[in-house]
Amino acid sequence: MATRTLDFPKMRFDRRKLNPWHVTIFLVVTVLVAVPVAILILGSFSNAKMPTDFTWATLTFANYPEVWLDPGTYNILYNTVVYVAGATFVGVSVAAILAWLVERTTIPGKIWIYAGVPLALAVPGLLQAMAWVILASPRSGFINRFAMDKLGFESALIDIYTLGGMIFVEGLRLVPTAFLMMVPLLRSMDPALEEAAYTSGARPLSTARKITLMLMAPGFVAVTIYQAIIALEVFEVPGVLGMPADIHVFSTRVYMLVAEAEFLPTYGQANALAMLYLGVALVASYFYWRLIRRSERFTVVTGKGYRPKLTPLGKWHYPAIGFVVLFMVLAIILPFLVLLYTSLVKTLQPPSWDVFSTMSFKWYSWVFDYGRFGSTLTNTFQMVFATATIVTVLSFAISLIVVRSKFVARRVLDQMAFMPHAIPGVVMGLAFLWAFLQFDKFTGTAMFGSIWSVVLVFVVSFIAYGTRTMNAAILQIHSDLEEAASVSGAPPWRTLWRVFMPLMMPSLVGIWVYVVLLSVRLAGAPLILYEGRRTEVLAVLIWYLWDDGEWEAVAAMGVMLMIGLFTLVLLLRGLGFGRSMAQAR
Amino acid sequence: MIKIENLHLSYQTDEGMVHAVRGVNIDIAEGQFFTLLGPSGCGKTTTLRALAGLETPADGEISIDGKLVYSGPKSINIPSYRRDIGMVFQSYAIWPHMDVFENVAFPLREMGGRMPKSKIRDKVLAALSLVQLDGYEDRPAPFLSGGQQQRLALARALVKEPKVLLLDEPLSNLDAKLRDEMRTELRDLVKRLGITTVYVTHDQLEALTMSDVVAVMETGLIVQESTPFDIYEEPRTRFVAAFIGQTNFVEGKIDAAANGAGRVGSVATSCGSLRCILPDGAGIGDAVSVVVRPEDVYLADQRSVDGDNMVTAEIAEIVFMGETLECTAIVGAETMRLKLHPSTRVEAGQSIKLVFPADRCRALAS
Repeated sequence: MATRTLDFPKMRFDRRKLNPWHVTIFLVVTVLVAVPVAILILGSFSNAKMPTDFTWATLTFANYPEVWLDPGTYNILYNTVVYVAGATFVGVSVAAILAWLVERTTIPGKIWIYAGVPLALAVPGLLQAMAWVILASPRSGFINRFAMDKLGFESALIDIYTLGGMIFVEGLRLVPTAFLMMVPLLRSMDPALEEAAYTSGARPLSTARKITLMLMAPGFVAVTIYQAIIALEVFEVPGVLGMPADIHVFSTRVYMLVAEAEFLPTYGQANALAMLYLGVALVASYFYWRLIRRSERFTVVTGKGYRPKLTPLGKWHYPAIGFVVLFMVLAIILPFLVLLYTSLVKTLQPPSWDVFSTMSFKWYSWVFDYGRFGSTLTNTFQMVFATATIVTVLSFAISLIVVRSKFVARRVLDQMAFMPHAIPGVVMGLAFLWAFLQFDKFTGTAMFGSIWSVVLVFVVSFIAYGTRTMNAAILQIHSDLEEAASVSGAPPWRTLWRVFMPLMMPSLVGIWVYVVLLSVRLAGAPLILYEGRRTEVLAVLIWYLWDDGEWEAVAAMGVMLMIGLFTLVLLLRGLGFGRSMAQAR
Repeated sequence: MIKIENLHLSYQTDEGMVHAVRGVNIDIAEGQFFTLLGPSGCGKTTTLRALAGLETPADGEISIDGKLVYSGPKSINIPSYRRDIGMVFQSYAIWPHMDVFENVAFPLREMGGRMPKSKIRDKVLAALSLVQLDGYEDRPAPFLSGGQQQRLALARALVKEPKVLLLDEPLSNLDAKLRDEMRTELRDLVKRLGITTVYVTHDQLEALTMSDVVAVMETGLIVQESTPFDIYEEPRTRFVAAFIGQTNFVEGKIDAAANGAGRVGSVATSCGSLRCILPDGAGIGDAVSVVVRPEDVYLADQRSVDGDNMVTAEIAEIVFMGETLECTAIVGAETMRLKLHPSTRVEAGQSIKLVFPADRCRALAS
């Protein structure tokens, strides 16, 4: 048939001829992802004092025995395992209970839970940890002071500077993403699968155990591994809570090796340790990837309209509501209120009536008068906007090639874009530190020490997220829609502009906003790349001010930052992005 | 065997309360193949789910094999898993994390008292062979074709030899050819087993070919319940007549009531006065629709006389279907569909005389 052989040009190209555009994108991604990792690996075999001293003659195996024979390394390994396992357990269990409550029970006020839990995304790990230090540090924490001064306890009630404290705070921080991932998991399950068990004579408990749980298992394990990777990666929480008490995990130890390098150059060792860290993260990611591959075969979704049976809570009604409220208070309300309080008092002290009468906005004016604040704010805005825009555009270009083109290396491109997902921020920062110093040495430019160094690291970190979401979004747009435009006489670029872009707009904006949200919160990589005022972003400034004991000023900045982030999260919700955000992973 | 009395059921949707079942009464004899037929949203699936215990009715009584499983007044509600039923879902609901054997063994493992392994094995294999799935027991369930999943769902429903088999549109996800095969196969199987079967469908062909009794539902109520033959031949309402088979409607008013012989009277329509079977209790002047099936109409010949509902028509369109000649004819102000024998010589535009046999015309209150 004649119509069959007609080939609409569109975005498909002759297989034999490489499209220069595809090749360009491929090369850009290769340089961004592969080169820093290669340099990181090379650096781990070098005894150069500084990355700039690197020559082929400095290659040695000495760094690895150094790291592996140090008993401290095993201590770190132990701490990391306990911390990651604990935080993941806390985060995933709380999220699972919340998701089950909203999806499968008769709990009231569901819309508030759907809206409220993701709000926790707006509480950066850095500020969450700091708020809990103010509340529960052993000597001056409000809770401990109250217990000792008013209730007559001999010693501190709780100590946040412990592995337990880190697990608690990081656990809380993991809840919103885990929740967003689990809701669709619960929602997409066909209730007929459970009903078939009832009509087969299975009791509710037996059904829950043999059907519901087993069906959820692959998805549940995938969420758990994903959250474990995040916990492994995070620097801020162990940085604030672990480092003062000399409790180190991988991320903080790598940071310390670099931060101390001014006195005792140990870059090679930092790299060697980072390799181990990277290895753990890669193994975890591999299992995650295998699991989501497998779970795709579990086609539970049948596309019928579901009206899942809701479990009446009965006497558990109030405990369930209590649980939800407790989470909201601990994860969102309390940290915000603590920082708000701290930002308004003259000097930090436990709340009392006297304190309330002396409250002022003094620390806010202090912040605005503070010389470094203005430049930091400019840097942060520059960095955040550039990162979000580059990530969105680059992910769009990558996904378009991966999903729609016949480019030979599109699979490799997809995997390469996903790989940074497994690289912890601190390691990424270290890899780029080497890459920038080498780059600057050869070209005489000054990438290192400019805000663009931070932008580049974040771009690479977030394209994994960007392309995942973008792939899903593009897949949802049936190519019929574009073909219809083609046969209506629209040339490819008009099709892109008139049909494709308008349909993609919510995804593009959603990704952009989410990347803004992510990049403004993270301190790990920017701290590694910190080189004077021109690279200082808000998270870094908060970190250093906290270190200098300017807690009230930190609180004032934190309050303003959180208000901004709350607005962004609400904006994301307004875009209806919560679900696609969770599904894309 | 199954008795449903005055069943009411409503549920909350995004658009508000839906009163899905509004006083349904059903009595099903042992071994009967009973079909609930109706368009989507008529409450047939909801009724079946209430029977299975998957929905909680608002009021009424349901008993299975003489045992009360639901009673509004007596506040009895036996959960699904304690009702002696087997059910096949529209989506089959095959558990993807189990293989074929485990899917079928599941109901047996859930039965009270430990069943010996060898006995479970025997029963599962017997059930699989019943649905011709022998040799598939180690296959992971998602690796079955649609038709095989359907058989597997059936084997799972039958394995514990329940008193009642419930089928919720089980054939609707199959392709046409497979559906034709499964129709007879399914009916033969349940008849051979002698199991009481409740079948839900919106497909009139399935209902007519498979059932002992068909109950047609409309907006939460059963509007007619009888054998497939009677449903087709003597539809009691316009809705039933229109839903099952092709039908011509001619609107009119009764102008002569039934006289002694049978219930045949006369209706004044735009095609002239038609003699037809009148509904019980109808009087002169009542507005009615006269129902004539397309296959009952024939061309007048020399033996036809005026008293035979003979009308003049003009053929508007002819479609040759192989076994029939489907024509559209203009009769007075009405357009009617006819099924004529394929050897009939007619052409579009031709004026012909048609006979509507009086004993095949049925007036229904409109």
